[in-house]
Amino acid sequence: MSVRPRYVLAEAWSIARSSPRQTAAAVTLITLALYVPGLLALLSRNLGRLAATESQSAAVVVTLQPAADRHALAARLAQDARVRTVRIVGSDAALERFRLAYPDLGAALAELKEAPFPPSLEVSLRPGVPPLAASEIAAAARLWPGVESVESGEEFERRFRDAVGLMRNAGLFLGGILTLAAILSVASAVRLALDLHRDEVGIMRLMGATEGTIRAPFWLCATAEGVLGGAAALGLLYGTFRFATHWLARDPHPLLSVFWVRFLSLPAALLLPAVGGAAGLAGSLLSLGRKYRKAKPAA
Amino acid sequence: MIQLYSVSKKYGPFRDALMDVTFRIAPGEFVFLTGPSGAGKSTLLRLLFLEEPPTTGQILVNGRNIGVLPHSQVPYLRRTMGIVFQDFKLIGRKTVFENISFVQNVLGLPRAEQKRRAYHVLKRVGLHHQMNAYPDELSGGEQQRVSIARAIVNEPTVLLADEPTGNLDPVLAEEIMRLFVEINIRGTTVVVATHDLELIRRMGKRTLTLERGRLHDPDRVREDAPIVREAPFLPQA
Repeated sequence: MSVRPRYVLAEAWSIARSSPRQTAAAVTLITLALYVPGLLALLSRNLGRLAATESQSAAVVVTLQPAADRHALAARLAQDARVRTVRIVGSDAALERFRLAYPDLGAALAELKEAPFPPSLEVSLRPGVPPLAASEIAAAARLWPGVESVESGEEFERRFRDAVGLMRNAGLFLGGILTLAAILSVASAVRLALDLHRDEVGIMRLMGATEGTIRAPFWLCATAEGVLGGAAALGLLYGTFRFATHWLARDPHPLLSVFWVRFLSLPAALLLPAVGGAAGLAGSLLSLGRKYRKAKPAA
Repeated sequence: MIQLYSVSKKYGPFRDALMDVTFRIAPGEFVFLTGPSGAGKSTLLRLLFLEEPPTTGQILVNGRNIGVLPHSQVPYLRRTMGIVFQDFKLIGRKTVFENISFVQNVLGLPRAEQKRRAYHVLKRVGLHHQMNAYPDELSGGEQQRVSIARAIVNEPTVLLADEPTGNLDPVLAEEIMRLFVEINIRGTTVVVATHDLELIRRMGKRTLTLERGRLHDPDRVREDAPIVREAPFLPQA
């Protein structure tokens, strides 16, 4: 028997309206559950972009103190037989490079009065040198006067990878926990709606309604709550992004700006309502699986 | 036709709601099921519309052994039966029309056809002007008439009523009984459970009396009970 879609839609709407507080609570929880991992995904996406940019640069980056003699230090580095080139990057050049890497930040960077990046030396190595060479050169340079810090490309990459990975894992972990909470919340909302409709369910059974006919509106209602929660999370996330970019345009910050360059890709954005819908459906299945069997006909 | 062969129903090890009940109701017959409270009238009706299975024995409705009916087929069987309850069991948030056309709505019958059928049955029970009213806007007698309209809208072959006049005054009870007789005249088998002996006396129909779960002076079926096994009951087109 095919169930009339209009009937299922009307019943689902009626179920949602019958317990508005629970419905609102379920949608809110799904929104929060998906907002947090969505935010971390957004941040890790932008950080990942930076990592990709940086990974293409020098094998060793020596950050200098402002008063250091950059030419002398460059010459000292160039004496190492494993070094192919040493490039001196001044503060202005670093800022310009940053502008080129992040054109989206436009306004935020245009208003910068001072160069926020210290001068540095970028060392590239000859082809065929052992992988440990960069670390060894970095370790030696750290001890030189006038050197603020030294990082090898390897370390740079590792740090970025770790940071991006940490964000992704945190997003997955928090998202998992919050999604579980959202599923339980939806299950609770469905359970309450089922309690409110207990007599009706009994009457419907007696009138010859199939189990699918009775359950379909509950499934649809919970799935719709999930999709709505996911869409709200997406909207909230976009609002946060717009606010952050607007705020950074007014009050530029070179480090924070890195995290607010691009919004989520379309597939990633659409994933939020999809996951919300799946969570809603899971909640209703969980609830109907346990509670529903106890809803005896009202005869 | 409804046939029961040695039907018993136990609730737990010590409570026998029905014991060895055997009877036959012919197609198109009007039968009262009576007995004091707790005699097993409602239990018997619950077995007939498959809300509960019998502990032992066989029940045949229209030649089908409903005891072997798969669970998934129960809704389709119920659609061939009309059921009327003492407390009406109308859905409060639905209008009279929606209560009546619920199954047709689920089945996707065009709304115009649903309305036509609902109007037709409501006219039969004298409530065609209340199609858009909600149950709580109606009197007890009117609500019971709506529940009867709901029970007959699918043109069932069997109509089961469990104390349908229990909440009504004698005048309304008489009115409801007249409706049942009218439905019966059109060919539907009607089984009414009631403890109102005066009403039964006035109606002058065949009566099955239950006492402590046993059929008193039953219209026994003497021949051996056939063992019926059959293919699952299929939904009607």
